[in-house]
Amino acid sequence: MSAPFLSIARIAKSYAGTKAVDEVSLDIAEGEFVTFLGPSGSGKSTTLYIIAGFVEPSAGEVLLGGRSLLAVPPHQRGIGMVFQRYTLFPHLSVAENIAFPLRVRRRPRAEIADKVDEMLRLVRLEGMRGRRPGQLSGGQQQRVALARALAYDPRILLMDEPLSALDKKLREEIQGEIRRVHVETGVTVLYVTHDQEEALRLSDRIALFNHGRIEQVGDGRDLYERPASAFVAGFIGNSNFLPVRVVAAAGRHAVVSCPDGFELRGVRVAARPAGAEPTLMLRPERLWLAPGGAGEGIAGTVVDAAFLGDCIAYRVRTGWAQDLAVRTPLAALGGAPAGVGQEVRVCCEGRHAFLFAAL
Amino acid sequence: MLLDHRELGAWRWLLGGTALLLSLFLLLPLLLIVALSFDSSQWLQFPPPSWTLHWYAQVFADPDWLSSLRASLEVGVSVTVLSVGIGLCASFALVRGRFRGRAFLRAFFVTPMILPSVVLAVALYGVFLRLHLNGTLAGFVLAHLVLALPFSIIPITSALEQFDGAVEDAAVLCGATRWQARLRITVPAISLALVSAAIFSFLASWDEVVVAIFMASPGLQTLPVRIWGELRQNLSPDIAVVSTLLVLGSAVLMGLAAMVRRGASS
Ligand SMILES: Nc1ncnc2c1ncn2[C@@H]1O[C@H](COP(=O)(O)OP(=O)(O)OP(=O)(O)O)[C@@H](O)[C@H]1O
Ligand SMILES: [Mg+2]
Repeated sequence: MSAPFLSIARIAKSYAGTKAVDEVSLDIAEGEFVTFLGPSGSGKSTTLYIIAGFVEPSAGEVLLGGRSLLAVPPHQRGIGMVFQRYTLFPHLSVAENIAFPLRVRRRPRAEIADKVDEMLRLVRLEGMRGRRPGQLSGGQQQRVALARALAYDPRILLMDEPLSALDKKLREEIQGEIRRVHVETGVTVLYVTHDQEEALRLSDRIALFNHGRIEQVGDGRDLYERPASAFVAGFIGNSNFLPVRVVAAAGRHAVVSCPDGFELRGVRVAARPAGAEPTLMLRPERLWLAPGGAGEGIAGTVVDAAFLGDCIAYRVRTGWAQDLAVRTPLAALGGAPAGVGQEVRVCCEGRHAFLFAAL
Repeated sequence: MLLDHRELGAWRWLLGGTALLLSLFLLLPLLLIVALSFDSSQWLQFPPPSWTLHWYAQVFADPDWLSSLRASLEVGVSVTVLSVGIGLCASFALVRGRFRGRAFLRAFFVTPMILPSVVLAVALYGVFLRLHLNGTLAGFVLAHLVLALPFSIIPITSALEQFDGAVEDAAVLCGATRWQARLRITVPAISLALVSAAIFSFLASWDEVVVAIFMASPGLQTLPVRIWGELRQNLSPDIAVVSTLLVLGSAVLMGLAAMVRRGASS
C-alpha cells in the first residue's frame, strides 16, 4: 500500500494537566471525507486546530504527502478552513472575500476574476457577489466561507461544525451542498460535528472521539452495526443496555442470560470490553413485540406507545424494572399496535445483539 | 415606563423649561464669547454697539497668534498619530496577548484620565527638567501623549474585543502572515474605533491647558496657553476670536465623532 495522503501520528495536547487530545492516530486517503464525531470537549476541534497550525501538539506528528506539516507555518500550509463562527471579512464584499486568498498569493488579476466566478457558481451565490457579509443570512455566509476556503485549491479542507448555528432545514440543505462540492472538487475533507446524523449523511468514514481518544474509525455501518465499545454503541443511534450474565462463550459469539432468566443465543461479542460488568446492547429497531405468555423473549408490560409517523416507539417495562425502547416500523405491524398496559414479550435475534464483556 | 413624557401633563412644561434653562446656562458663556468676538468695541462691551470682523482680521495678521495656532496643530497632530499608533499596538497586546499583569497594565494605561492634571503636570515637569525636554516640541508631545493615550486605548481595546479572533485566523489560513492579517483584515474592521481614537486624542491635546502651561516656552505656546497668558495681561477682543475658533474646532470634531458613532451602530 502506498503512503497515506494525510497521516496523523500519535498527536497529543494537554491543557494544564488535562489531556485534550490523547495519542490520536489516523490515516486519511486523498479525496476522502472524514468526520470527527464525538461529545462536547472530546478533542475534535483541538485535533483540527493542530492540523491547521493554531495549536501546537505536545507530542506526535502530522504528515502530508510524507512530509511533516507541523514544521510549516499556518499561512503556508495550503489548508482551507470553515469555522463554526462566521469569519467572513466584514469590510469586504462577497467577491472580495473569495478573492482575498488569491490576492495574498499575488495571482494575476484575470485569474482571480475567473476563480471568483467559478467559486460563486460552485456555491450557487452568483447573485450575491457585491454584498457585504452583514447583508447575508447565516447559511449564505457559511457558503461564502466555503467558497473562500476552496478558492486557492487547498490540499485539505477543514470544517469545524460549520452548520451548528443554522436551523435543521437549512442545515440539511447545506449538507447537500457540501456533499456536492466534495464530489465536484475532490478535495480531502476533515469535518467536525457532534451531530451523528450529519456525520452519517456526509462522511466516507467517521472517527468517533471520546475523552481525547478515537474510540473507533469506520464507515457509518461499521460504527452502527459493529460498535467496538459500549460508548460507540451508545453514541451512534439509540440503544438499550441490559446487565447480563455470560452463560457460555466461544470465539466471538456467546450465550447470555438476561436478569429475568431469558437466554439469548448467538450474541456477537464486541472487540473491546466495557468496564467490568457484562452488558448487552439491543437496538430498538431490531426488537419486536410478541403477545405475552410463555415463549421466547423478555416478558414485560407496555408503558408507553408513541406514533411517530413512520414507526411506533414503545417503552416496555421488564420484570427487573428497566424500560426498553422498541421501534416497530408501520410496515412490520401485523395487526393493531400493542396498547399501554398490555403484557408482551420483547424478542430479538442473537446476531443483532451485542455483548460488551471481558471474556 | 415610569416617566412617560406624554403622561406628565403640566409637569411636562416644567421639565422642558428646566432643560431649556439649564442648556442656556451651559451655552450662554460660549454664546457670549462668540458675540464678543464680533463686538466693535475693543473693551468687550455688551451688548455690542455694532458688529465687525475687524478682530478676526487682526488675529489672522498677528504672527504670535499664528505661531500658536501652528504649535497647537503640530502638537495635536503629532499626539494624534502617536496616540493611535501606540494605542493600536498596546491594544493588540492587551486584548490578544497572553501574559501576566495584563489586567493591571490595562488599568494603568487609563490612569491619566483620573489623575488630576496638575499632579501629572508637575511630575512631568520634574522629569523633563532632567531630560532637558521642557519647552521642546518633543516634550510637549510626550506630555500630551500621556493624556491622550487612554482616549485611544479605550475604544480600540473594546473594538478588538468585539472583533472575533477567528476572523484573523481565517485570514492566516488564507495565506496571509499574522501581520498581514492584522493590517489587511483586523485594522480595517476596527477602523471606526481608530477614527474615534484619533478625534478624541486630538481633542485631548487641542483643549488642554494645565499640562500645556508647564510644557510651554516663550517660543512654543499652544492656543490655550497663549489665551491664558493674554488674559492675565490685557483683556482684548483677540481672546474672544481665538476662543471662538477653539470652540468651533472642537465642535466640528465632536460632530465628526458623533457621525462615526452613528456609522458604527448602523
Ligand atoms: N485553549 C484552551 N485552554 C484550555 N483548555 C482547552 C483549550 N482548548 C480546549 N481545551 C480543552 O480541551 C478539551 C477538548 O476541547 P475541544 O475544543 O477539542 O473539544 P471539542 O471536541 O471540539 O468539543 P465541542 O464539540 O464542544 O466543540 C476540552 O476539555 C477543553 O476544555
Ligand atoms: Mg469544537
